[in-house]
Amino acid sequence: MKIVIADDSRVMRQIVSRTLRQAGFGHHDVVEAEDGADALSKVMSERPDLVLSDWNMPNKTGIELLRDLRGSGNGVPFGFVTSEGSPEMRQVAEDAGALFLIAKPFTPEAFESALAGVLG
Amino acid sequence: MTTVVAPDEGLVRAAVDLVWSTMLFATVEPWPSGLDAALADGVRATIELQGDWNGRLALTCPAGLAGEIAGAMIGTAAADLSAEDVHDALGEVVNVVGGTVKGALGGELALGLPDVRPCAADEATDEATDGGFVLGWNGAPIHVQVLAGRP
Repeated sequence: MKIVIADDSRVMRQIVSRTLRQAGFGHHDVVEAEDGADALSKVMSERPDLVLSDWNMPNKTGIELLRDLRGSGNGVPFGFVTSEGSPEMRQVAEDAGALFLIAKPFTPEAFESALAGVLG
Repeated sequence: MTTVVAPDEGLVRAAVDLVWSTMLFATVEPWPSGLDAALADGVRATIELQGDWNGRLALTCPAGLAGEIAGAMIGTAAADLSAEDVHDALGEVVNVVGGTVKGALGGELALGLPDVRPCAADEATDEATDGGFVLGWNGAPIHVQVLAGRP
């Protein structure tokens, strides 16, 4: 399976990749995107099985990315990995079609719990 | 309407502790009183909160320590990292601290994007603050500030 990781921090993309491995999902292919606009392009070209996206990013935020995807009829499984995890933001994410929101700082266990139903 | 007060030292300290333990797999300690915490120069990472409370959180530390922070986060030697990676990592530290503080404060708040830049001597201590304290890690100081108002 293929996972797009969208975060404007290269370091955080590396940490998310490492945490995926620690959570037992290291056998999946990872495609990195440096912001929401890059992620939108890569979702179209790479046709991933899951998108893990930051919320606050330049060019296109994570929620704008999700709304663009759903607006174009793309139903790719989508989850947020973000430094903000308030109940209000979780509701906004869910209403827009996100499957989950993992708040930073996170643990491999949080990834395992959130992704098990998506990646098996 | 929700009333949001400025983040206090205990809240910010707890957020920093959480970031160090989960992202650096390490423990940060209070800087020993009586030990000089002045910075000759360093790196300063800030993030802005806007809404029911307006201000910034700032972390400032020596450039060498910033490299060690980045190395601990990525799991590689600081010497192998570019300045861009070091600034990126410190930005993520203040981003997650800011997000944690924002979540704890509640109310209507928006979190900005982190800003990281080299800073001159004394910049860590010459702005008026609502709160500030010094932590230590790997033998070097980390100045943590709560700066009220917009820059």
